Amino acid sequence: MSGGDRKKRACDRGQGWEEAGAEFYQESYPAAIEADLQQALQRDPSHIATLLPSKKSRVATAKRIRNDTKTTLRRRTSTRSRGTTTSRRMSTNIHDAAVSMLPDLSENLSNEERTWEEIMQIKAMPVCMAQKIQLKNQLQSATKLRLQGFEQLKWQRRKAWQQFRIRMKEAYSKMELWNDSLKTIGGNFGMGIVAYFLFIKWLLYLNVLLFGIIFLFIVLPATLLDMPEDETCVNSNNSHSISCCSELYWNITQESGNIAGMLEYTLLFYGAYSHMTYTSGIFFNLPLSYISATVGVFIFSLVAIVKSAAKSFKQRVVENEGQFYQYCNLVFGGWDYCIHNEKSAAIKHKALYNEMKAFLEAERLEEERQNRTREETTKLFLMRLFINLIVLAVLCGCGIFIYYIFEFSFNQISPQTDETNITDSHLSLNRIVHLFFEFLPYMCIVILNFAVPSLFRYLVSLENYSPSFVIRITLFRTVFLRLSSLIVVLTSFYRLIVTEVKDNECTNNTSKRPLCWETFVGQQFFKLYITDVFFQFFMTFFINFPRSLIAKHTENKVLRFFCEQEFDLPKHVLDVVYLQTICWLGLFYAPLLPLIAIFSTFVLFYIKKFACLVNSTPSSKIYRASKSNAFFMLILLISFILFTVPVGYSIAEIEPSKSCGPFRGFKSVWSLLIVVFAEFPDWLQSILYFLGTAGFGVPAFIILTLLLYYYYAVSIANKHMVTVLKNQLVLEGHDKQFLLNRLSAFIKQQQDQNKYHQEQANELGTFS
Amino acid sequence: MGVGKSQFSEEELQAYQDLTYFTKKEVLHAHQKFKALAPEKVGHNRNAKLPMSKILQYPELRANPFGDRICKVFSSSQDGDCTFEDFLDMMSVFSDAAPKAVKAEHAFRIFDFDGDDMLGIGDLRQVVDRLTAPQRLNETDMQQVLQYILDEADLDDDGALSFAEFEHIIEKSSDFSKSFCIRL
Repeated sequence: MSGGDRKKRACDRGQGWEEAGAEFYQESYPAAIEADLQQALQRDPSHIATLLPSKKSRVATAKRIRNDTKTTLRRRTSTRSRGTTTSRRMSTNIHDAAVSMLPDLSENLSNEERTWEEIMQIKAMPVCMAQKIQLKNQLQSATKLRLQGFEQLKWQRRKAWQQFRIRMKEAYSKMELWNDSLKTIGGNFGMGIVAYFLFIKWLLYLNVLLFGIIFLFIVLPATLLDMPEDETCVNSNNSHSISCCSELYWNITQESGNIAGMLEYTLLFYGAYSHMTYTSGIFFNLPLSYISATVGVFIFSLVAIVKSAAKSFKQRVVENEGQFYQYCNLVFGGWDYCIHNEKSAAIKHKALYNEMKAFLEAERLEEERQNRTREETTKLFLMRLFINLIVLAVLCGCGIFIYYIFEFSFNQISPQTDETNITDSHLSLNRIVHLFFEFLPYMCIVILNFAVPSLFRYLVSLENYSPSFVIRITLFRTVFLRLSSLIVVLTSFYRLIVTEVKDNECTNNTSKRPLCWETFVGQQFFKLYITDVFFQFFMTFFINFPRSLIAKHTENKVLRFFCEQEFDLPKHVLDVVYLQTICWLGLFYAPLLPLIAIFSTFVLFYIKKFACLVNSTPSSKIYRASKSNAFFMLILLISFILFTVPVGYSIAEIEPSKSCGPFRGFKSVWSLLIVVFAEFPDWLQSILYFLGTAGFGVPAFIILTLLLYYYYAVSIANKHMVTVLKNQLVLEGHDKQFLLNRLSAFIKQQQDQNKYHQEQANELGTFS
Repeated sequence: MGVGKSQFSEEELQAYQDLTYFTKKEVLHAHQKFKALAPEKVGHNRNAKLPMSKILQYPELRANPFGDRICKVFSSSQDGDCTFEDFLDMMSVFSDAAPKAVKAEHAFRIFDFDGDDMLGIGDLRQVVDRLTAPQRLNETDMQQVLQYILDEADLDDDGALSFAEFEHIIEKSSDFSKSFCIRL
């Protein structure tokens, strides 16, 4: 920096000081504000409260800027020092402006980085664009320090990063899926429903990532690497060795003519993957890769869900007093500003009105509940007990029904496979019947999933619960139904699969265990998935769509009542979560299921969009975007955790089939990992072994407990602090109120006195 | 986009990008939307001032019960007539990228009908009335709702919400930042 330059700046500074001095006096006792005050007081002495700094938003200051452009330059400095902190922003007014004056002058020489930061801050200011531009120009033309060396580099890097982020954002928004769809849905149904569609989008991305992992580690190697041939059966002396069983299986799949048979030996299912290790050139252990990829997918899903759930959970904690703000929430955050359709707007108005009424009603109900007589309470209790018993019976009945249907259809299929083999499948009718029996259980499950919730919805209306509880309990029962049907499916598989396989057999023939049970299970999940998606499609376009058409064009009230449908959010959430759960369940046995899931989630978005925009009328219930997202994630998390257990069990305990898949010959899938572990270098083994001993476990447990307790204590203390501060705030408010009252009373008194004096003087004047 | 581009220089776009929560592309997109409101006027002068009635043709504002208030708050001449720059300001505040504090500040001004920098009983009553529009809460219900709102939010018991109190509420409401959004 040259000497001349510095001198000039020093000179600048000197002038600045003088100028500032003058300004300072003007600002501390500004005539305009004084006049303001006087005026306000004259109008209404009790109005003084509105002049307090804490009562002003930044807008008030901004307004003044607008009126008085000459002081904008000075004002600029005050906005600058205000920075990002909201707390300081609050306290803008006369006083603040004066105070911020002083430090600001001393650091008049702001450097480039600060100026740049301030320019970036301008956008947050509530002034009009012309003023923003003016401010920016002023900031840019002001003399500033050039950054030197490393600082300059750092700043440049920050600037480049910002640029890059903007560019990324632009690219991302171009790529963003379904933006227009979301906008239309938001315009018609509000943000609560948009949250649901965002959830579908999230699941789509999740499935893409899951598929990516599986594709990279399982499918790609299996197709690219030419796995070494297994030794042939002839060479081995035992006719039930792994290789012979594999050959047997291979032959059977080639012969059978049905669709499932054709699909059996494709990469879609577990059975087709080799158990050999690729060693020529590069070393690749496919079985190890298979199991690690599966475990990786599950961990990845868990992390993704938990991260997303934690985000909404954090929000919930911040708002945990939110329920005490229900009216404010409704009034200030109730309107969806994205609604652009007059009809939806009318419905929204009505919904808000109803909601307000409902809140007031709930308040009254609460009172009534406390005044309920003993007799009524008993009656209600009995009613609820009775209905809960019915629900339980229905759930059990469904479970048993599904179980027997499974047995039945499996029994129907097995003899037929032999038949088709013999008759060489020339009877097409026979094949259709076969296909029908194959899909029969899944159709039953899907239909039950559709029919029983309607029954539940009817039953719950008899129970006289509060509206919010009704939603929760219906949902809870429906979740239970869906999950229990899946559990029944799993148990029926389990009974089929878990049998002792003797050394001299490829599989247990007496219990009809399939040669390759993993592929069999994979196929079942595959069928369930496909059936469900197809059913969604069918219901939406062939049942609900005509219903909505009838509802729109009929005058008949009864018909209309039955045909009109609202977008029932909990049901649709369950549909999606259920599909995703099946995807997770089947993933190990059918590695390409995520690919199917990607397609069907994509299609499902459009199915649901149609169901929402065309079939349904906007709901009279208000779904809150924030709450619903947390709720979606919670349901997803519950079903994920519930159904990793059976998958984990099957990996750890059940013996893989001898004739197919990457794990043939092992006692369980997990034992592969034990074998791999034994190949680790000694030091790693001993470290890992140490991690498993009590010597490490107990201290780790104690430390973790202590940490947990520490955070618990901190959170308790914080909570306490919050209440203390809140009380203090209220007390301060009272104090202020008191002082203001005294002040205004005093001013009024003085005014009266003045008036009195004046009158007296006037009187004197007239007398004399 | 070609027409839109020719109406702005690269520097102007850069300035708009720096001063709003939009990228250059979005600024142009916003201008398209603005132009669609009155093609012939904006075609001549890209920053033409459109009367409030024209601005209220914008679908989201037309459906909004506070449409006129929004126009007034963002209008640089404070009478509800908006230039493109005012419109851009408006859309920037309503965009996803704008932080909660900025949104809260403008929401406060929108709800502050009488402009006294406080949300008093009168303001709140008007807000509730506009929200329920064709229907009206009867007087006792209205009284009760207003009372509940003040019970919840009015920390210093002065019978009105100051900006600090309003922002405190908004901080705790996650719905607000999601619903106070207009997608361009």
